[in-house]
Amino acid sequence: MIKDNNNKKPRVAIYDFTDCEGCEVKIVSLREKLLLLEKKVDIVNWRLGQERFESGPYDITIIEGTPITDYEIKLLKDLRENSKILIALGACAALAGIPAIMPEKDRKIWYEKIYSSQYHPKGVDALPLSAYVQVDFSIHGCPVDEDEIIRAIEDLLSGKTPRYHDYSVCFECKQAGNPCRITEENKPCLGPITQGGCKAICISGGSPCYGCFGIREEANIPALIKILEKITDKNEVERYLTMFHSRSKEINDHK
Amino acid sequence: MIIISEKNLQDFLEKTKKDFDFFDVGSQDGKPSFKKYFFPPEEEIFRLSDSRIGTAKVSKKFILFGLNLPQLEALTQLDEIMEKPNKDYFYFQRRKQSFVIGLVKEKIDVAPGGDIVLEDRGKGQYRVLVNTLKGKNLIKNYNNFFETVDEKKEKIPQIPEGSSLSEWSKSMRQILLDSELLANAVEWSHGHPIWDELAQKCLGCGICTYVCPLCHCFSIEDRVGLDDKCSRCRKWDACTLPNFSKIAGGHSFRPNLKERYYNWFYHKFVRAYREYGKSQCVGCGACKHNCPAKIDIQEVLSVILRDYRSNQ
Repeated sequence: MIKDNNNKKPRVAIYDFTDCEGCEVKIVSLREKLLLLEKKVDIVNWRLGQERFESGPYDITIIEGTPITDYEIKLLKDLRENSKILIALGACAALAGIPAIMPEKDRKIWYEKIYSSQYHPKGVDALPLSAYVQVDFSIHGCPVDEDEIIRAIEDLLSGKTPRYHDYSVCFECKQAGNPCRITEENKPCLGPITQGGCKAICISGGSPCYGCFGIREEANIPALIKILEKITDKNEVERYLTMFHSRSKEINDHK
Repeated sequence: MIIISEKNLQDFLEKTKKDFDFFDVGSQDGKPSFKKYFFPPEEEIFRLSDSRIGTAKVSKKFILFGLNLPQLEALTQLDEIMEKPNKDYFYFQRRKQSFVIGLVKEKIDVAPGGDIVLEDRGKGQYRVLVNTLKGKNLIKNYNNFFETVDEKKEKIPQIPEGSSLSEWSKSMRQILLDSELLANAVEWSHGHPIWDELAQKCLGCGICTYVCPLCHCFSIEDRVGLDDKCSRCRKWDACTLPNFSKIAGGHSFRPNLKERYYNWFYHKFVRAYREYGKSQCVGCGACKHNCPAKIDIQEVLSVILRDYRSNQ
């Protein structure tokens, strides 16, 4: 995707919107690999990681977090204009994720409860980057997996278009030797419809899969919902489906 | 007849655990199949750096213990598959490094696979069937654990008639006996409404192919690392997944789950019969046991066979 810039290193910017910054910490925790990466690309703007704030245009812009405020939405559009490749980093950017967990109608109640009735919300809405601009690739996860960051960047640097995994979390979950939540433990799990790449880390740690790696291509969502509704009640299934996917079209089309 | 007592078997296993890597598949009922020990989910085939090529190192010698009757049959069949059209180098490197010891609870006259098969005679006695030269040498090297007895003179417990396999496995294996009929019926069934029903039910997660001891499809992935080293690796793939049948330009030969799921059956029961003379299924039940959508391969085949017969 990135062609050789007369042997100049690609200029990379890393931005963040509303989120916990955990996915950027994952970039820092690449450690030795981050040093290798720095030899291949020139990170010219990264608020969290360094004191260098060069303006665009950029070859690759990596954005973490959900654009919530007018300022963030405008910045996102500017960044798109000034970037050859725009990458969403993590569930907040790719899916709207945790910032979108609250149903729109309930927001007012919680504003009052948490911030008092004097509060004037600055947020417009919680939508994924793709609601405003074209996103070239999403590095999925909450937080992202280090190997997936490397995979995407390696592909871009070698001139390939990064591809999404079409296999499910189940593939990695089976390798990890976990008992199946659905068939053996009668507990809900979104693993079968979720993209792999996470190494089934949640299930291995005893937690369910809430689908933070994004919905798999051609996943049979209605069939899984039917199975989950036999395991638990509709509200609980809804809780699973809205943990990260309250704004995912694939999911909302089947509700 | 060679026999080994329960106590000697435990001691023999303890000793071999010290001498080799040891994997017990018998204690992993319903878990991913043994195939990963010969054909890992992901393996690097070679790595290129500074114009040198390095091939992946092969594991040290290991013992794979406790394969039951369907698993032993599956291994023999997987060997046949991996031999054609060219011997799969990586698979057979690992096969060479392995000693496969089967453990069956039924009377068998001929070992269906593996290097040694232990026939559990009950009362703490196992009859030892030697299947390969490798198995013979293994016993020779550990001969103090084994005894050779004269069947006529000494009383060795007889194995009770019947099979330790589940009822499901037994009836599935009955169906598999006529693999020609199965091949014809599955081929005929393309367009049968059962494939529409299954496409509604199947999650397309691919679990069935991962746990199947005989599914062996893979894809190849090339990477150029940040360290400028290139590697080629192969990874298990599943024909039920959308990318498996995609070609350049994004065109797909099997654009929906219905076609892909049918293809899984077609490969197992039609193509396999034409290429190898038998179905690529040993009736182990792993796919049924692990399917989150509770799809039962035997039920599917029964419906197809019933309708095929009544249409002839």
